[in-house]
Amino acid sequence: MRAAALGSGAVVVLGWPWAAPRYFVFLASLIAINAIVAIGLNLLTGYTNQLSFGHAGFLAIGAYAAALLTIQAPLVPLPATLLAAGLVTAAMGLALGVPCLRLEGLYLAMATLAFGFVVVEAILNLDWLTRGNDGLRVPAARIGPWALTTDTSRYYVVVTVAALLILAARNITRTRTGRALLAVRESEIAAQASGVHLAAYKTLAFVVSAFYTGVAGGLFALVVGFLSPDSFDVFLSVDFVAMIIVGGLGSILGSVMGAAVITTLNDSLAGFQSYRPLVFGAILIVSMLFMPGGIASALQKIQPRQGDRA
Amino acid sequence: MSGLATGSIYALMALSLVIIYNATRTLNFAQGEMLMISTFVGWTALQLLRAPLLVALLVAVVAAALLAWVLERTIIRHAISATHFDVLIITLGLSLMLRSAAGLLWTHDEFPFPSFFGSRPLGVGAVRVAPASLGIIGASLALMLALGALFRWTRLGRAMRAVAQNQRAARLMGISVEQVYSASWILAAAVGAVAGVLIAPVVFLSSQMGLVAINGFTAAVLGGFGSMPGAVVGGMVLGVLENLAPLYLPASIKHSVPFLVMITILIVRPGGLFGRVAPRKV
Amino acid sequence: MITRSILLFLLVVALSVSRAAAEPGVSDTEIVIGGSNSFSGPLAYTGEQITKFGVDLYLRVVNDAGGIHGRKVRTIYYDDGYRPQDSVANTKKLVEQDGVFAIIIPQGSPPVVATLEYLEEHKVPMLFPYQSSPVTRARRYVFQGMTLSDRSSRMMIDYLAGTRKYKKFAALYQDDEYGKSFLAAFEKDLGRFGLKLTAAESVKRGVTDVSAQIAKLHAARPEVTFLVLVPGPAAQALRERQKIGWTDTLMVSTGPLTDEKYLALATDAANGVEGLSLWPDPATSDLPGVKLYRAYMVKYFPKNEPNRYSLAGYFAGMLFTEAAMRAGRNLTRESLITALESIKGFESGILPPLTIGRDHETQKQGFWVRVEKGRFTPLTDWLKSE
Repeated sequence: MRAAALGSGAVVVLGWPWAAPRYFVFLASLIAINAIVAIGLNLLTGYTNQLSFGHAGFLAIGAYAAALLTIQAPLVPLPATLLAAGLVTAAMGLALGVPCLRLEGLYLAMATLAFGFVVVEAILNLDWLTRGNDGLRVPAARIGPWALTTDTSRYYVVVTVAALLILAARNITRTRTGRALLAVRESEIAAQASGVHLAAYKTLAFVVSAFYTGVAGGLFALVVGFLSPDSFDVFLSVDFVAMIIVGGLGSILGSVMGAAVITTLNDSLAGFQSYRPLVFGAILIVSMLFMPGGIASALQKIQPRQGDRA
Repeated sequence: MSGLATGSIYALMALSLVIIYNATRTLNFAQGEMLMISTFVGWTALQLLRAPLLVALLVAVVAAALLAWVLERTIIRHAISATHFDVLIITLGLSLMLRSAAGLLWTHDEFPFPSFFGSRPLGVGAVRVAPASLGIIGASLALMLALGALFRWTRLGRAMRAVAQNQRAARLMGISVEQVYSASWILAAAVGAVAGVLIAPVVFLSSQMGLVAINGFTAAVLGGFGSMPGAVVGGMVLGVLENLAPLYLPASIKHSVPFLVMITILIVRPGGLFGRVAPRKV
Repeated sequence: MITRSILLFLLVVALSVSRAAAEPGVSDTEIVIGGSNSFSGPLAYTGEQITKFGVDLYLRVVNDAGGIHGRKVRTIYYDDGYRPQDSVANTKKLVEQDGVFAIIIPQGSPPVVATLEYLEEHKVPMLFPYQSSPVTRARRYVFQGMTLSDRSSRMMIDYLAGTRKYKKFAALYQDDEYGKSFLAAFEKDLGRFGLKLTAAESVKRGVTDVSAQIAKLHAARPEVTFLVLVPGPAAQALRERQKIGWTDTLMVSTGPLTDEKYLALATDAANGVEGLSLWPDPATSDLPGVKLYRAYMVKYFPKNEPNRYSLAGYFAGMLFTEAAMRAGRNLTRESLITALESIKGFESGILPPLTIGRDHETQKQGFWVRVEKGRFTPLTDWLKSE
């Protein structure tokens, strides 16, 4: 049953560009990118209870790092560019995560919120590097001899990276590290008493989360093709938080579904024009009232036996 | 001086956030939008009835209280079993809806809003003082003192403090926690409405006006979230910082100053200027 | 399950074989155009006015009169809330899903620039973008709408430094693309007169307090202070100036700022302010085109007050109609571009006679105004920016 579900899922994902109209290939890429961010954020929030309102900032760092690398060094292969974007962002995650170790709950949320603002300001003011408000146009990336100029080619890059990162996240959460992280969420003091090195694991969660978001940022630059400080406002961070809460905290499958739901909603409501935020807000409220705990826990209630916290 | 004036409005916004946080341990993302809606309602009264500004203020406060009561009873109360995160998303959804609804009702245009205080400078010796600044500071201080009195000497205030301290104990003492929830939403909205009427002449009335509440968040964090005097001081500090930073700092970093200060304070003193980090319990 | 989903997919593939269409967005009975715009976010008001009360106003008139060569024009707008990635997504959707014939009046530099390359690559005309960065100049598939910042600056400096002989200039600008492109243009044009900006202070979008900036500018004692802002902060700046009693400078508003809204917000603090006006006064002008615009507004949207934004959209609708009429029944994207390029001395009754040249700009002129008793009084005829 599981294998069948996985198999048909793979068929749908791989066959998508041939079946769906081009626009939906682009949209699927966006969903995959947001899913990576959501997983990254969920590793932080869902597993160690550290809420971040600054992930748009991490996304921006990854996106600008990848874009600048593509522009300055066009010969660097794409995987290396994405890895670099992830690493640069992870380093920022470390720099932010260590001082934030002392912060909890709301204070951490506020510190990360402020971090998001500072990143946007930094992009604006480092205009010799980032072209500030003029925005940065990202040239088509290359893999060996191929330039990724079509939505389909970019889609395959994005879903490949997303698949790798989903697998990696599953592995992280199922190992000793994952159990340690979950223990941190349940009770920091109990975890510490059971020999979990609290500070190390919390920092690790921050770094991994930033890495995921940084890689997603690199893909964002690739798929959207244009970056500007306006792309990474605080509402984007809030969207990411909405994704993991709607999807379900502490669930990787939930993160992917949350990203899919929020991205699709955002897109399909664009035609509502002035009514868009009204409808979007109403859907958020209703889903939280009737599905507390998000999609993942609702699924668990429907199919208790299949409910693995993937 | 004008820094202190904006600061005292920030302080009011911070207070309204802290009131709800203390009672329910959740952040109300829709605080700014509730403030915006109630100011719009007050303004409509002003336009339709040609009423004096004081009436508009009263209308705004009543509208805010009513809105808060309805929202709390119909939506927030039903999420009482949900986690804080769920409630966070609900208030976020509310903020989107309220902003959009305001745009549909009153358009997304900006409107001038009359001020209680004139803008012509008063010369006091060599010093020029704007009556607006003095008025705003005075009005805010009066409201803060009233709030302080309410928390200290009334039954409701004591109940709210009790719930803030220990919900279970408060319930055992016979306090209706639900009523305290409602009361704190209403009180917070009313304080927010006053802040809205005071700041509308400065930032103008528009559906985007609620975004100033972000300064209320910053102020509350600066002061140590949960502490009322902290919120007031945090607001003042933020207002003065915003006012002075552009004077003395290079253009490239001046806009980041409030956030940099916030990060620094959080790192150095995680509990904020006035807050205390509660000892962890197992 | 695997086989079933494969079969399902083959079915979907078979069904989604692309429709063979002639020119996208043009059928026997209809022309479909659209755009991504702000219906939420900081520029929601402008976005709504230029599209639903501007372009659509003119097109309703056209449709009620029988359409363009027998085809009615339909518009589709999507909200991007000023986010570039949303405007990319919306524009792709318009081109690929809705198959629009052309993109009309998208708003704001970042959202517009984000879609430029994509539209050029697909040879989709971008008509009259509502932004002022020169990046859109002289591109085959773009016809610029709003007067570009370098032209505005040239008219302003030529008039102030040339005609009025002012020497000392300062600027209060918004810390974004709009503000910075004006600042650069001011420096360049002042350079032609051997002058430079004495002081420049930035304001962030959505601030609550501009007192420090005003104090610093005041200390620099400029004769002229440019306001490169949007209505809210500009009105705050004027009030702050009144508050500190700073009278010995001439406050000058840029083209995009010179509108009635900003006067209404600043009230008496706006008296004596001057500026470059890109449009005749939509509420009071006696020009035949503006009178007609007001009459249509009363007829179709009686609740909506006339304003510059909807007038700009109305003008965009008028230009599109003119070009599509010229292109004839055999309307294609290429024939529309040829038709637009053929426009010479076009009388709109709103702006001076329009000739579209190689730069593909549709607005190049403005005139000088001074605020007297809460309204703009013209001081000059249309100024030149060539």
